[in-house]
Amino acid sequence: MLNDSVIERIIEAAMSKTADFAEVYEQESESSSVRLLNSRTHDAKSHRGYGVGIRLMSGTNTVYVYTCEKSEEALIKLAKDAADALKGGNPGAIKELEALCRTTPSLIITDPLKVSKKDNIAFLKEASDFALNYDELITQVASSYTTSHKIIRVVNNEGINALEDKSRIRFTLEAVATKGNEKQTGRLAPGSMRGYEFVTEYPMIEKTTECCESAIRMVNAGYAPSGKMPVVIGNGFGGVIFHEACGHALESTSVGIKASCFSDMLGKQIASSVVTARDDARIEGEWGSYMIDDTGRQSSNLLLIENGILKNYLVDDLGARRMGCEPTGCGRRQSFSYAPTSRMSNTYIDNGDSKPEDIIANTEYGLYCTKMGGGSVDTATGEFNFAADEAFMIRNGKVCEPVRGATLIGKGPEILMNIDMVGNDLALSAGMCGSISGSVPVTVGQPTIRVSSILVGGREEN
Amino acid sequence: MNKTETLDFLKKLVDRAIAFGFEEAEASFSSDSHMEINIFEGEVSSYENSNTSGIAFIGKKNGQMGGASTSDFSDESIEYILKSSMENCEVKDDEDEDFFYCDPDNSHLVNDERSGHYDKNTYNRFSQLGLKLEQDILAISPDIKAVDYLSISCCCGPTYLANSKGLTMYKDGDLVFVMAEARAERDGVVKTGGHFWAGHNIDDFDEAKFLQKVGNKVLGKLGASSIESGSYKVVLDKEAFVSLYDTFESNFSAYSMQKGLSLLAGKEGEKVASDCFTIREEPMYKDALLKFPFDDQGVITYSKAIIDNGVFVKALHNLKTANKEGIPSTGNFFKGIKASNLVVTPGNKSFDEILETVQDGLYITELNGLHAGVNRISGDFSLFCEGYLIKNGRIERPVEQITVSDNFYDLLKKIEEVGGDLEAVEEGVGEYFCPSIVISEMNIAGSNEEEG
Repeated sequence: MLNDSVIERIIEAAMSKTADFAEVYEQESESSSVRLLNSRTHDAKSHRGYGVGIRLMSGTNTVYVYTCEKSEEALIKLAKDAADALKGGNPGAIKELEALCRTTPSLIITDPLKVSKKDNIAFLKEASDFALNYDELITQVASSYTTSHKIIRVVNNEGINALEDKSRIRFTLEAVATKGNEKQTGRLAPGSMRGYEFVTEYPMIEKTTECCESAIRMVNAGYAPSGKMPVVIGNGFGGVIFHEACGHALESTSVGIKASCFSDMLGKQIASSVVTARDDARIEGEWGSYMIDDTGRQSSNLLLIENGILKNYLVDDLGARRMGCEPTGCGRRQSFSYAPTSRMSNTYIDNGDSKPEDIIANTEYGLYCTKMGGGSVDTATGEFNFAADEAFMIRNGKVCEPVRGATLIGKGPEILMNIDMVGNDLALSAGMCGSISGSVPVTVGQPTIRVSSILVGGREEN
Repeated sequence: MNKTETLDFLKKLVDRAIAFGFEEAEASFSSDSHMEINIFEGEVSSYENSNTSGIAFIGKKNGQMGGASTSDFSDESIEYILKSSMENCEVKDDEDEDFFYCDPDNSHLVNDERSGHYDKNTYNRFSQLGLKLEQDILAISPDIKAVDYLSISCCCGPTYLANSKGLTMYKDGDLVFVMAEARAERDGVVKTGGHFWAGHNIDDFDEAKFLQKVGNKVLGKLGASSIESGSYKVVLDKEAFVSLYDTFESNFSAYSMQKGLSLLAGKEGEKVASDCFTIREEPMYKDALLKFPFDDQGVITYSKAIIDNGVFVKALHNLKTANKEGIPSTGNFFKGIKASNLVVTPGNKSFDEILETVQDGLYITELNGLHAGVNRISGDFSLFCEGYLIKNGRIERPVEQITVSDNFYDLLKKIEEVGGDLEAVEEGVGEYFCPSIVISEMNIAGSNEEEG
């Protein structure tokens, strides 16, 4: 990593013209991955990366430059070029560097990068073999394992001097069930910032069985109906609805330029009174966590919505300048190749009072989505869509036949107001989230919830 | 390093790898320069400039290939990529052999597509253009309230490759992009829409045409409402059709077929689409921004039909999948098995004539959620979409809050007509050239009870 005096000289060069803010972001990373198909390892990769990003601001104008170069000469030149490109007023002051603040959100007993690829593969092979022999309908099993280690250092002219060390593990398994031309997939994709013990403690065979069962159920299922109906969304990854339909529209990336359907709504009711939601970056060992964000600020456990009332936006430093408020410590980026922006971490709807079984029992007719796929949203209009990987019909308060091919669409603000029951079975689930600062690990989560009416796009007439 | 020095460095790395214990080896170096400005509310709100580079290495040992990459060129990092690649070879047990390649007649491949216009891409030029463009978008209509995103960017950078079979490869090129998204509001309803332009020469940017596209895409959506669920005849806009086809393009790869993940396996020579549909891969297509004389494995490409008058002609191969079937590679390895530039053979009718033929139906302009709402293997999809209701052969009104559900393979057979309005769509490895496509019927779910 660069030494302090070099970083200080880069900041001086960056602030030599009109910048009122300058930041150096340095990143070292290493990753290792394997991919298997039908228990055969067909891909194995390793990567080491290094890069530096220099960000300047004057008011809300920003300049971002980045490189893989390590030499002081090249970095100073880059900082000067950045200073030349910034249009601004009076330069800001450079404060004395604070003592280095070292943090980690990871909880490591065994360093995953020290575990051999042979062990990673053995773990996946056992599960793949199990799945391939589980049922004759299971015809393919794809699996993967990735671990990465990243050290980031952030220094800015305001004295921030932070270093965070993060290790991550993620593995996936997809079991494909085949019946004629129809193929359906059951998936698992846990992710964690714990050590290799996360892998050894994971109930892999039990979860692989669930994947196979889900794929078999769905390959035998008929199409979902179309039309507006009550929808019960299961816990865990079901939280993708909140992430897409609400979370993105609370980021200062869109709120700060008044391009969000939730702009100017602080203190107002944006969800039904049974909804309380948080973005908590400080859960140790959780996939989407960080103790300092990618701008060197301490992260937070942020209350977004309390009993339906909007309490906070997710605000990064640029957003704070636009909105005239304090940043909440949510500036994130995929790597040095991206300027940071406001992003989510571990975002979830908090526990409510209802038992999941009571939510089903109280639903005369509707769709029960037990496994959600991905989705997307237009933060300006609030329009979202997401796919259900596994769903069942609910009739007379009972879970009935499985159905496939359901897509849920709607407008975020309307859906939030239509959540009428919230369960007490909160669970979190790992995912990746893409936005203008790249792809970052996040968790989504919720207890079982019911939305009184959503448009379901299926194949059958309702 | 200049071109000769870089290739020498890679050749030495390959020699070192052989001495390290690999049977065969291939090394590549790529460098990427990128510059971008964003405009917001009359100012250059952000400027980005970068130069990054990296080395990727693949070694072969006991018939297995393993790789590693780094952005650091120190001796320690070179040692790291050799050691990691060896470990990666040792843990693999792929049943199909992979190959490095060198065509003796084409052992030194060069594809230099530098435009000679890159120097025009300056901060000043981009900011002047961007600031004017923002003003002009706002001036299209009082309903346009903001330009939420406006970016002008360019990139360039060479890739070099050398392998132990004697192949050297050099590719270079440059591109410039303009992208804008506008927000419109009428009667409290907000809609967004934007457009994307790519080219080699910023002088070729046609602002009037771009403004027309942005205006149509955002203002056209105002006043939208849903429709009644049911079966509709559909005109798929070129961008919508391309986004759908591209989502399922991996099904045309021999890898997917050999692994039992494509329903097109064993269907070569069979009818998979209606007679009027022909799609060809044209690596050197005259209007394409990028030309592909060879693929990433050094195999010379050629023009070929993928689907010819409804008949699936041939699967796409790389060296590995071709070897498994005892045939030559089709030159389709582009970081995965894919087609380069794809061209749908156009019909004769203009867009208005297509609407006239359809009379009543739906014109779908955007399909959303393609990363989630599809089953890539079975072809089933259920997607959030936007578009317009067609009545009496004309666009009647915009529609919103609807989904379209169907199956990709069924859809190919339901193509009733192919328009003559061929246009470039930036998607995939290169580009698609595609006209409007008429589908005889598709299932639509809407929330409107009264009309349809």
